[in-house]
Amino acid sequence: YNVHSGTEISHTMDKSITLPPDEIFRNLENAKRFAIDIGGSLTKLAYYSTVQHKVAKVRSFDHATKVNRDDKLYEISVQEEVTARLHFIKFENAYIETCLDFIKDHLVNTDTKVIKATGGGAHKFKELIERKLGLKVDKEDEMTCLIKGCNFVLRNIPHEAFVYAKHADSEFRFQTTQPDIFPYLLVNIGSGVSIVKVESEDKFERIGGSSIGGGTFWGLGALLTKTKRFDELLQLASKGQHTSVDMLVKDIYGGSYGSLGLTGDLIASSFGKSATADKEFSKEDMAKSLLHMISNDIGQLACLYAKLHNLSRVYFGGFFIRGHPVTMHTITYSINFFTKGEVQALFLRHEGYLGAIGAFLKGAEEDNPNQYSWGENYAGSSGLMSVSPDMNPMQRARSGTFDMLEMDRLERQLVNLPLLQDPSSYIPDTMDLTEDALAREYWLYCFEEALDGVVKRAVASQPDMPEAAQRAEKFRQKYRHKLQTLRQQPL
Amino acid sequence: MAECVRLDSSTSSHTMDKSITLPPDEIFRNLENAKRFAIDIGGSLTKLAYYSTVQHKVAKVRSFDHATKEAASDKLYEISVQEEVTARLHFIKFENAYIETCLDFIKDHLVNTDTKVIKATGGGAHKFKELIERKLGLKVDKEDEMTCLIKGCNFVLRNIPHEAFVYAKHADSEFRFQTTQPDIFPYLLVNIGSGVSIVKVESEDKFERIGGSSIGGGTFWGLGALLTKTKRFDELLQLASKGQHTSVDMLVKDIYGGSYGSLGLTGDLIASSFGKSATADKEFSKEDMAKSLLHMISNDIGQLACLYAKLHNLSRVYFGGFFIRGHPVTMHTITYSINFFTKGEVQALFLRHEGYLGAIGAFLKGAEEDNPNQYSWGENYAGSSGLMSVSPDMNPMQRARSGTFDMLEMDRLERQLVNLPLLQDPSSYIPDTMDLTEDALAREYWLYCFEEALDGVVKRAVASQPDMPEAAQRAEKFRQKYRHKLQTLRQQPFAYGSLTVRSLLDTREHCLNEFNFPDPYSKIKQKENDMALKYYQKAVKSLEELSWEQRQFALVRGVLAGNVFDWGAKAVSDVLESDPEFGFEEAKRQLEERPWLVDSYDQWFERLKGPPHKCALFFVDNSGVDIILGVMPFVRELLSRGTEVVLASNSGPALNDVTNGELQILTERIAAMDPVIQAGLREDRLMLVQSGSSSPCLDLSRLDKVLAMVVRERQTDLVIIEGMGRAIHTNYYAMLSCESLKMAVIKNSWLADRLGGKLFSVVFKYEVPAGKPSQHSAALSPL
Repeated sequence: YNVHSGTEISHTMDKSITLPPDEIFRNLENAKRFAIDIGGSLTKLAYYSTVQHKVAKVRSFDHATKVNRDDKLYEISVQEEVTARLHFIKFENAYIETCLDFIKDHLVNTDTKVIKATGGGAHKFKELIERKLGLKVDKEDEMTCLIKGCNFVLRNIPHEAFVYAKHADSEFRFQTTQPDIFPYLLVNIGSGVSIVKVESEDKFERIGGSSIGGGTFWGLGALLTKTKRFDELLQLASKGQHTSVDMLVKDIYGGSYGSLGLTGDLIASSFGKSATADKEFSKEDMAKSLLHMISNDIGQLACLYAKLHNLSRVYFGGFFIRGHPVTMHTITYSINFFTKGEVQALFLRHEGYLGAIGAFLKGAEEDNPNQYSWGENYAGSSGLMSVSPDMNPMQRARSGTFDMLEMDRLERQLVNLPLLQDPSSYIPDTMDLTEDALAREYWLYCFEEALDGVVKRAVASQPDMPEAAQRAEKFRQKYRHKLQTLRQQPL
Repeated sequence: MAECVRLDSSTSSHTMDKSITLPPDEIFRNLENAKRFAIDIGGSLTKLAYYSTVQHKVAKVRSFDHATKEAASDKLYEISVQEEVTARLHFIKFENAYIETCLDFIKDHLVNTDTKVIKATGGGAHKFKELIERKLGLKVDKEDEMTCLIKGCNFVLRNIPHEAFVYAKHADSEFRFQTTQPDIFPYLLVNIGSGVSIVKVESEDKFERIGGSSIGGGTFWGLGALLTKTKRFDELLQLASKGQHTSVDMLVKDIYGGSYGSLGLTGDLIASSFGKSATADKEFSKEDMAKSLLHMISNDIGQLACLYAKLHNLSRVYFGGFFIRGHPVTMHTITYSINFFTKGEVQALFLRHEGYLGAIGAFLKGAEEDNPNQYSWGENYAGSSGLMSVSPDMNPMQRARSGTFDMLEMDRLERQLVNLPLLQDPSSYIPDTMDLTEDALAREYWLYCFEEALDGVVKRAVASQPDMPEAAQRAEKFRQKYRHKLQTLRQQPFAYGSLTVRSLLDTREHCLNEFNFPDPYSKIKQKENDMALKYYQKAVKSLEELSWEQRQFALVRGVLAGNVFDWGAKAVSDVLESDPEFGFEEAKRQLEERPWLVDSYDQWFERLKGPPHKCALFFVDNSGVDIILGVMPFVRELLSRGTEVVLASNSGPALNDVTNGELQILTERIAAMDPVIQAGLREDRLMLVQSGSSSPCLDLSRLDKVLAMVVRERQTDLVIIEGMGRAIHTNYYAMLSCESLKMAVIKNSWLADRLGGKLFSVVFKYEVPAGKPSQHSAALSPL
């Protein structure tokens, strides 16, 4: 059932695949307000649902009427409570039809009349969605959705943004949430590049862009290497040497060009060597050179626009970036080079969901989702995966399947303690286990050791419920799986 | 003398034979006196620079010593032809394939043995160092490439008036030249070689590489070669010019079905370069891929340039490097990109001599002890090849020439040239009234006109040297050279910047000088001056007899009538040559009656009733009747009113224009007859200065430094410009910060027609700058 554990299934593109409903489209019965973001290769579905779950309540005895009916201090009761949850599911476009069928079959709520749609593919699949779901497709502006989604995750998910450092102890360094997320620059690298300045919840402007983007890497890469798949091109690039194709400063001047402050290893001319050399270049080397060329260019443009508009926070997203350590590394390198460290390249854990979140929020405006605080539900969310091919080749298989994010609406709105000396530098946690490998090992072991006790305690807490043991076992499995995942990917 | 073999004549230009016979007369001119060599060796072209002295003949006038030689001759003054040595910079550009032949040639012809060192720059300097040292026996002294580039750029921007231009593919005129700015700094130089360097230049010695990019000419070439299997840069550009980028690029409309309105993106905008080749399973044509690549790179460089310009608050952005050099395709895409990204706020500027910057800079580094920056330099039109259109569609023949030799020669001017301090806005001043590059009809007429007049000029040149038997031969050479220039200009009107009547006249003067005809009109001027002087006192006397009111009008008519005597104008030279007795009174009768074509005489007359001007600057025109009977009485009246007068005349000869040397003698002779002029000279209220020019026209932004100083010291408040060349072909629209008077008679029927008048129509243009009412009208105003 679980697609995550079965490697064979994940490689097939069979559209008749049996979906694992428990895992993927959770709480579909009460779902309303659908939104869909269809990109070039991935579809992101969002819906709002209500979850019924048990909560333990305590209540004082009424001392006036019932004196000493029991010797307990207060009464404990388990009640059913309904909370709101946002579900986001990401899957390959190949699964769209199956997914739509599944949703149609399980959708109980009949109030839903409309599905918000965004992304380049929305147009292409409009007819299919309307036919399958019987919902009217309501198209939303792509950029508005992207920005809305970005604002939402930056505000609601504490460790949303991170800095990428290839050679550091920990590949990802998370940023603490800033009390004020504005202004920021969003560089969205899809087929082309859009550079957007975001000043407030509703105010943004596309201040620049470039035609040299992910599509250029893909398109030129395909022409140069005859490799048609984007992922394979990145694989090639990660194995190549750009110096055999690029002309470096030292190739022209014999060393550095000191008076201009140019080091010898700096690329003077991308593909400069292929202009005159009469040799064949390896696919890997050309892909690497192309990747450098494009990443450096985008990095430079981003820096110039950041400087020109006096912005210090620059987030990168789009399919060129999405979970690809190779591109995150080259973009980070480029930003560091051009700003001498003044600007940091920031990436987002849920970057792929921004459009879907935004489209959903557009449709849910009457529910005022921005008035609430939301919290990531760790139990229902897949978490960020390392797709670094060297680091964990196993993980790549998963990108072919389903990825989820669930956000619970919190009962109360959460804000900063007004007494914090510097809210922007406040870090609640004393120890960062992502960076401290020794501590991480100990605590993961510790929590695994303690799991038996926790399960025992859980069963004991519900003596009058016969299925408690079974549920406790499910809990044990889920939490152990999470711990295993965290051992592999502490982030 | 070896017969010159022109390399650009069809057959030889296509061969790359290294044993080619060089045409020494044409290419390495004045090599005998050459010193201070510099060389800039690029990826494919070598640029050689050297300094040389040129001996040429100049005509001098000298007063006879009346004390010792009484009437030794009936001539007014003595004309002698002297040898003068002037400095000239030579720059030659040729393909690297010719280096060895050229070095051998230089070795054989180099006489001066003082030269020990050759300055070298460019990427290839390293490679050819050993060869140069061995062949020439000179030590190669390497100079920093970027420093040379910037030094060269500053030099051409400062010294060549129409150096920078805007490129417009679809306009009437491909090139739109910019007038020289009084202050060239700060500017941004975007040098697109293999990679891109973006340099901010703040002053002569201060520059900083503020940015760069690895996506440059090498990327176009390298990626282009990989994609199309075409290894030659020029061929790649040819491919690109024939391709359609839309089949390879993903446009906004390919994604959104149309424009993306809310973001202001039009449907035709490139969303992703090569975006279609990512998923489409088809073959793309070489042309389309090359075009897409060209767009990608040009747009990227354009955007970076704009961002750096904005970030550093710079509005002048010059583009250079081999990616740009003479390639209309890249100039077009770069221009398009700059317009797109700055919405027209920043203009992409290109340079006529862009390819020479490194060589010029290296040369200047080596010549620092000669203080080349202390002098003004002028492009010698006779020795320079001019800018060529290499647009393959426009003139396919021209491409052949790029394989040969291109030259630039700069003459050191005797005097330093500066702006007239009275220009209202020096940065927007354009001397020429008509831009023949943009006006095809006018161009055709004037080119025809100059070609028609050529026979007469040749005849006159020969006649001016009756005792020199080889004069006819030299004159014939002059004819060929100038006719060839005219033909070149017919094909490429932009070859020397904007084509104007002034540049056509100046080119003719340069060519005449080139063949040692320094002053073909000297004898005619001498004779006319002599005749006119005899009539001076009579003319003054008849003016004295008039009432004040009548006299003011008679003086103006006198200047206008005098101006009819002009050998520069075809209609008049015909009459003068056939009837030398054509008199002053006859000229007055020829004049148009008032109201004139342009007539602000009434305002001028009203102004004369007011207080006298402090000081008048008078740019004079022709010798003979014009200066003596027209201008001098007018000057005399100004002096009598209490106005100081500065007479500005040409430093060197041009047609029958009076030169400063001649005017000195004439004024002395007049002073001997006229106490008013004599007192003026004695009391220093009448001054003669040279304009710094040797042109029949007038560029108020390049005037002798002394003149500018005098104008400032004397608080000049009136500028008088006389004649068709100075007041109509040039300066007709010039705005001055003080009162000005432009007087001319139109002696060309075509021009008269253009201006809505007829032959001998009069232009009398009196102007008072806005916000500066004349003394008189100020008195009339209520406050």
